[in-house]
Amino acid sequence: MKSEILYPGAFPMVRVELTAGEHIKAESGAMVACSPTIDIESKMEGGFLGALSRKFLTGEKFFFQTLRASRGPGEALLAPTVPGEIVILELDGVNEYMVQKDGFLAGADGIVIESKMQSLSRGLLSGEGFFILKMSGKGTLVLNSFGAIHKIELKPDQEYIVDNSHLVAWSSTTSYNIEKATSGWIASVTSGEGFVCRFRGPGLVYIQSRNPGSFGAWIRQFIPVSE
Amino acid sequence: MSSNALCFGHNHPASGAPCFVQVDAAGLTIIFEFTGGGGDREVVPFAALSVSAGGLDHDHLVVKWTGVQGEQTLYLKDQDAIRAFRQTAPDDLSLHFAQAAELVRQVRQRRRLVWGLALGMFLSTVLGLWFGSDLLVQIAVSRIPVEWEQKLGESAYRDFLAQQEVIKEGPAVAALGEMTQRLTEQIPNNPYKFEVTVVKSDVINAFALPGGHVVVFTGLMKKADSGEEVAGVMSHELNHVLRRHGLERIVKSLGLLTVVTIVLGDQQGLVGMMKQLSVELLTLKFGREQETEADVTGLQLLQRAKIDPSGMIKFFERLSEKDEGRMEWLSTHPMSTARAERLKAELAALPKKSPEPFTFDWKQVQASLGAQPVVAP
Ligand SMILES: [Zn+2]
Repeated sequence: MKSEILYPGAFPMVRVELTAGEHIKAESGAMVACSPTIDIESKMEGGFLGALSRKFLTGEKFFFQTLRASRGPGEALLAPTVPGEIVILELDGVNEYMVQKDGFLAGADGIVIESKMQSLSRGLLSGEGFFILKMSGKGTLVLNSFGAIHKIELKPDQEYIVDNSHLVAWSSTTSYNIEKATSGWIASVTSGEGFVCRFRGPGLVYIQSRNPGSFGAWIRQFIPVSE
Repeated sequence: MSSNALCFGHNHPASGAPCFVQVDAAGLTIIFEFTGGGGDREVVPFAALSVSAGGLDHDHLVVKWTGVQGEQTLYLKDQDAIRAFRQTAPDDLSLHFAQAAELVRQVRQRRRLVWGLALGMFLSTVLGLWFGSDLLVQIAVSRIPVEWEQKLGESAYRDFLAQQEVIKEGPAVAALGEMTQRLTEQIPNNPYKFEVTVVKSDVINAFALPGGHVVVFTGLMKKADSGEEVAGVMSHELNHVLRRHGLERIVKSLGLLTVVTIVLGDQQGLVGMMKQLSVELLTLKFGREQETEADVTGLQLLQRAKIDPSGMIKFFERLSEKDEGRMEWLSTHPMSTARAERLKAELAALPKKSPEPFTFDWKQVQASLGAQPVVAP
């Protein structure tokens, strides 16, 4: 899987090149265009029951599509739903990343994706839901954000505090605690009470420059309320 | 040789330098693969090391020392390497790691205990007021607004439809429309807007999603001998929706935590969870009681709508016979003669009503699907 970011900035796409027979995982709905040699395999292929049995037999997660270059080499253009940057990471078998569930765009075949349940307190408090994705293995990983992606590099034991809803991905060598934001820290309109993550290095933390929840709330004020 | 650890230090990238760590009697040998010139190696004696547990889940072995390049930190997750380290390292070092690991376990246990206690107290209060967890499930379900249910069903429906060929008009759609109309007219205070979709597929099945989407496969319509038989299946599916069986199932499978979350009204976390679940809905299997409930209430609904209920029974009976192609329905609807028998008994107890026929001709509907009408065995 060779990949290249087109139109870097707010409205990027990523072009991935597949060799014959190669397959990659992509967020469902990410496909914009592709060569005729590429097949999109999805859960529901083979009818209701095929999907059912695959789900139970392989335990595959539903929100991915598999793009397979079954009839020769080809390329595909992928784009995220929201405006925002795309970042490409190379996993080498030792580094692992935790990715917030909307952050995943595509991954090479060698990338292992696990859906992880966060601990009760983290899940309840962070408002990010209970599931995050854990990416390990070897190969290219493509992430997307809402707004621009900013990389924070943490040295061993260095700490940094991040608003939960701005998180995109973080290395598994970091550790974090969820803390209640002190007053004045947070702008999250939706949650009312803000929570922040106190990260501790070493490792990388990728954050997005816009908060989807706050943006939603901002949009909502312009939508006339019926009744 | 592939890397099994990440090394951090000011001479390495912030994401850590991949390296291979070897443990032997002298200490650690760290080999960096990606530095030019065949790989740097550094040998660090055990005496220079300090050890702790770290990383997101505290499952990394963290080794620190000060080398020629300044302070170095090694994050080791590879189980074999950790085992080798614990076996080879002098006791005082391993002891330190063991202590760190033990501390983490204790903290986790304490945290779990606190949460367990909080949950336990809450649950015992609730259970003290009401008995039985089924009731608890129902209470949780009743707190979920219909709009949520619709959103949930809608996203599952879209995911499903993306891969299917839908029949948008024609006699089959009209016939199902008429059935739905007749049935829904008889549902008092119906909060759901039922939408029936005909999907071209030989699968003999139909399913309903929370919120009111019902999908019928053409395979089922070809298999049925009359409109009344399909109406029976429809009535059954509509009652899965009306009785909120899908939601009950989700709440049950997610366990009491969700129930607590819903009852406590923490919607933030739950909405996230629900989104993840949308397609799991498509693979939902209902429980036996739910099937029976949908059968019985389905039969009553048919009766109220003056649709001949014997069609439903006939169809179920036929599916329980040995016959190829019945598999799909059976996988989501375990069929038995007992089930048809139970419906017969139920029907006998209902007051007799003279059925009113549908306006369409079933054979013509089937012909429009491009199929030979199946001859009854
Ligand atoms: Zn059923």
